[in-house]
Amino acid sequence: MSVIAAEPALIAAKPRSAQLRRFARRNPTIVAGGTILAIIAALAIAAPLFAGDAITMQPALRLRPPSEANWFGTDHLGRDVFARTVYGAQVSLFVGISVAAMSITGGLFIGLMSGYFRRVDAVVMRLMDGLMAIPAILLAIALVALTRTSVSTVIMAITIPEIPRVVRLVRAVVLSVREAPYVEAAIAGGTPTWKILARHILPNTIAPLIVQATYICASAILIEAALSFLGAGTPPEIPTWGNMIAQSRLFLSRAPWTIFCPGIALAMVVLAVNLLGDGLRDRLDPRLARRM
Amino acid sequence: MTTRRSILKGGLAAAALTSAPSIIKTQAQPSRARTVRAVMHADLRVLDPIWTTANITAYHGAMIYDTLFGLDANFAPQPQMVSKWGLSDDKLTYTFELRDGLKFSDGQAVTAADCVASVRRWAARSGSGQSMMARVKDTPVVDDRTFRIVLSEPYGLVIDSLSTISTSLCYMMRRRDAETDPNQQVRETIGSGPFLYNRDETRPGNRHVYDRNPNYVPRAEPPSGMSGGKVVKLDRVTFENIADEQTALSALQAGEIDFYEVPPQDLVDELKKDKGLTLEVLNKTGHIAFMRLNHLHPPFNNPDARRAMLHLAKQDDVMGAIFGAQSKSWQACGSFFGCGTPMTNDENTEWFKKGQDIAKAKELFQKSGYDGRPVVVLQATDHYLANPAGLFAAQWLRSAGVNVDLAAMDWGALVSRRAVKKPPAEGGWNIFSTTVTGITFSDPIAFTGQAANGEKSWFGWPSDPLQERLRDKWATAPTLEARKEIAKELQSNGWNYIPHLILGQFFRNSAWRKNVTGVLGMPEVVPFWNMEKAAAI
Amino acid sequence: MLAYIARRLASTVLVMGIVAVFVFLLLHLSPGDPAAIIAGDNATGEQIAGIRKQLGLDDALPVQFYRWLAAVLHGDLGISIFSNEPVAKLISQRIEPTLSLALMTLLIAVTLAVSFGVVAAWKVGSWVDRSLMVVSVLGFSVPVFVVGYMLIYVFSISLRWLPVQGYSPIDQGFGPWIERLILPSIALGLAYVALIARITRTSMLEVLAEDYIRTANAKGVATRSVLLKHALKNAGVPIITVIGIGVALLIGGVVITETVFNIPGVGRLVVDAISKRDYPIIQGVILIFSGVYVLVNLLVDLSYTLLDPRIRY
Repeated sequence: MSVIAAEPALIAAKPRSAQLRRFARRNPTIVAGGTILAIIAALAIAAPLFAGDAITMQPALRLRPPSEANWFGTDHLGRDVFARTVYGAQVSLFVGISVAAMSITGGLFIGLMSGYFRRVDAVVMRLMDGLMAIPAILLAIALVALTRTSVSTVIMAITIPEIPRVVRLVRAVVLSVREAPYVEAAIAGGTPTWKILARHILPNTIAPLIVQATYICASAILIEAALSFLGAGTPPEIPTWGNMIAQSRLFLSRAPWTIFCPGIALAMVVLAVNLLGDGLRDRLDPRLARRM
Repeated sequence: MTTRRSILKGGLAAAALTSAPSIIKTQAQPSRARTVRAVMHADLRVLDPIWTTANITAYHGAMIYDTLFGLDANFAPQPQMVSKWGLSDDKLTYTFELRDGLKFSDGQAVTAADCVASVRRWAARSGSGQSMMARVKDTPVVDDRTFRIVLSEPYGLVIDSLSTISTSLCYMMRRRDAETDPNQQVRETIGSGPFLYNRDETRPGNRHVYDRNPNYVPRAEPPSGMSGGKVVKLDRVTFENIADEQTALSALQAGEIDFYEVPPQDLVDELKKDKGLTLEVLNKTGHIAFMRLNHLHPPFNNPDARRAMLHLAKQDDVMGAIFGAQSKSWQACGSFFGCGTPMTNDENTEWFKKGQDIAKAKELFQKSGYDGRPVVVLQATDHYLANPAGLFAAQWLRSAGVNVDLAAMDWGALVSRRAVKKPPAEGGWNIFSTTVTGITFSDPIAFTGQAANGEKSWFGWPSDPLQERLRDKWATAPTLEARKEIAKELQSNGWNYIPHLILGQFFRNSAWRKNVTGVLGMPEVVPFWNMEKAAAI
Repeated sequence: MLAYIARRLASTVLVMGIVAVFVFLLLHLSPGDPAAIIAGDNATGEQIAGIRKQLGLDDALPVQFYRWLAAVLHGDLGISIFSNEPVAKLISQRIEPTLSLALMTLLIAVTLAVSFGVVAAWKVGSWVDRSLMVVSVLGFSVPVFVVGYMLIYVFSISLRWLPVQGYSPIDQGFGPWIERLILPSIALGLAYVALIARITRTSMLEVLAEDYIRTANAKGVATRSVLLKHALKNAGVPIITVIGIGVALLIGGVVITETVFNIPGVGRLVVDAISKRDYPIIQGVILIFSGVYVLVNLLVDLSYTLLDPRIRY
């Protein structure tokens, strides 16, 4: 009895793991990117449990090479590079994800409005052109230099120039979908606008937006590093990979660990996010998916 | 006699004027071998060395202007543009006679009238000048080469002030430039100094070009500091603006630049191993890093809270973080005038000898009635000192149970925020840190941070009538010995009212290629005369 | 077509107007005071106040804005607060280095990226495809300044093949000019290789799936000629689009590259100006940058008609 009962479970389980394996084989980039990200995110979240003190400066212990006490050595202020790298993951990922989330949300809203309501369109798109015309990094430098330096300022500064790109993307999707016969039928049938937007138009924007989000996330992490290099990044007390590399750049030959540890972490995350984005793009673009 | 001389002069001047363009032309592309390319501590932005107190502009001034007196390497004033001078028996009238053959780069002779106008404009801007001018009754011109300064009461610092090395220095300009409103910038760059500013080749923000002044007549004495014969042995000096330290360092090692005024001090020991480079401390009085406290608002409007800071500031922390704990480039210093200066003394420094005492600081903060409000510490993330100083101030204060609001910004924002007198919570501040050269720090008159006349004084606005009386007494004291005695009183009182704290005294190495020789050491200014460049080694 | 160009140019003016207002407000409503910086560290509050007044920084904002706008409409970008030189002159001195760097970078990036993309699409799914993509993404994952330092360390300090820094105007010889551009262009270009290679690959894949390519393949046309003649030409539209976006990224990216390699370009000019709060320079440069950006995108749109005859305006 019990044997028979066990049978169906086994049968059901086998294809599921097989499905997973097949998914991994077909989408190696998604799996590789996702796994790296998941591990780093888990380490970042668990940081307080094992990372140690990332803030306290001990000049007497500065620029120590990696050892048992300091796995990744210490930086020029005598702070533990391992702790800062782990905590840096928190801030860097937070910056990347926040920028992606905020620019996608903002861009989605403005793009939907602009694509659907013709009257708003002209005004909004000129505004967006204006924003887009200001070089992102210069806007970010100006914003950070001119307002108070903090993580949220940096996030805002990187987000604002990203929004117009998302708006353009969403608007293009909306414009193509709203001409489709089923949407025109729904409009003619008197379906309320919000319903049309939510039911017919929004779903079409999801796939390209997810892909876009991964790229924004990766570039946000890099822009944060660039801002730190130019002295306009996150406050030096708060560790991010970007400002760790920027602050240690003079020690490239003398204390390479101060650059390589956060540098490798940064390159790995950006690589993982990009792989994920590439994989999702291939997967979610129906025409390409057919070919793969 | 007079007429013949002036005709002769006029003729010479005319000759110089007509030949000037051809000289400039032949010099348009001086040989690379006789050009020194230098990276200085900052980019030159303002060209009027009287109008701004920025050090780099004082360097620019030393290139193209000359001074009446110059400090020698032992900081003793020596006549420079002046040939003879004298003081009347009543100690009220100084008479100065200019050297022969001094000429501005436009070909005109330097006259007494030019000098009087220059002294007056300088006196309106400079701290030492203002203190002197308060006692000056008149500045009559006697003849083309002679003028006087007539005092209303005896004042021992006239020659010291005219030869001051602290910004602003008393540079001699043409009368028509010197008559510019002291609040307006002088746009012309015509001086009688050893170099000419080459505007055609200069690219602001990138490169400033100075050519040898062929008409400069150096003194016969050997060069010493800002005095003696300023003999130029190069065709050209350029100030290159390389913003990134790592890049500037690489350029020096590759021989693309010849002179680097302040390479990253962390790497000095490593650079000393480079056989192609000479490293040397040019400013023997070093710099003082100090932390300014805001006397207008709690908690530092209370003397106990300020005293608590004396027990908190650990100079080894900040200096160790910038130079390395073992480095010989810095020393802790407890004197109100910095260490190794004539005014250095040992009054009222028990707190310094004891070192950091967190328990004592905690107790003093409590005594001051500290109510837990966050102390706003300004931190300039792009400034080599103000960045670590801010981080450590926060760490020290937190260890004493004080709440800290560490406000990170760039130096540009810091210098505007420190001028805000409003309460810290409304955009003001409690603490910021900066540096000043040792020789300026030791001068109660030239250093604006020494004034304690309340809202009129430097940022932090301390108010202490005794300090003001003692400064006045110091300025009018007849001898150096007398000034040293008053300095003890100043220090004793200074560490009671505490306008600022010392974060350390440090000596920055300059680096240059081995084929560059004859570099003169001097605080506040890097002289480029006497410097020679041999073929690359 | 002409009407379209006219319409676009009109909207360019509008866009630049928006940028002007935005930048002006951004600068003047935020902290930082050029007067305090220009006065030097040893100056007192009183001296600073005097300088503020003299620079006209105490006037009401609308007055300052009107003054600036009126000048800009007369083609005058103002005078730098710090160097007293006209902003237009300062910018024009800096254009050549930036333009050289940008063009060289585009050249290197597009050459590398398009060949990567075409090969990857041709060998789609193979290890060649995957490793090319990973390599190009890796170039995008390392901060530009780290790449720059490494290049300097290897090629200038250790091997002594190329100069560390600086810029030599092209009229002083092609050799010195190119020799100082190679490293910065590679450092800056690596980031765009990833971007352009990926787009090239995707568009190539789309085009290769079209019926006419299958027909060509079936007819036995050589692979190389299919790839280059038909496919690449049709993939041109999206590639050109990305290059258009890339110009904006490039304008941003030069800021860091110019800093690392000490190239006296427009990027350095504006970063220095931001740290000093030299408002006229910041306003002028951003205005010009955004104008260039809008024009480049107009050109990009127009080039579509050349690459793809189906597109008409």
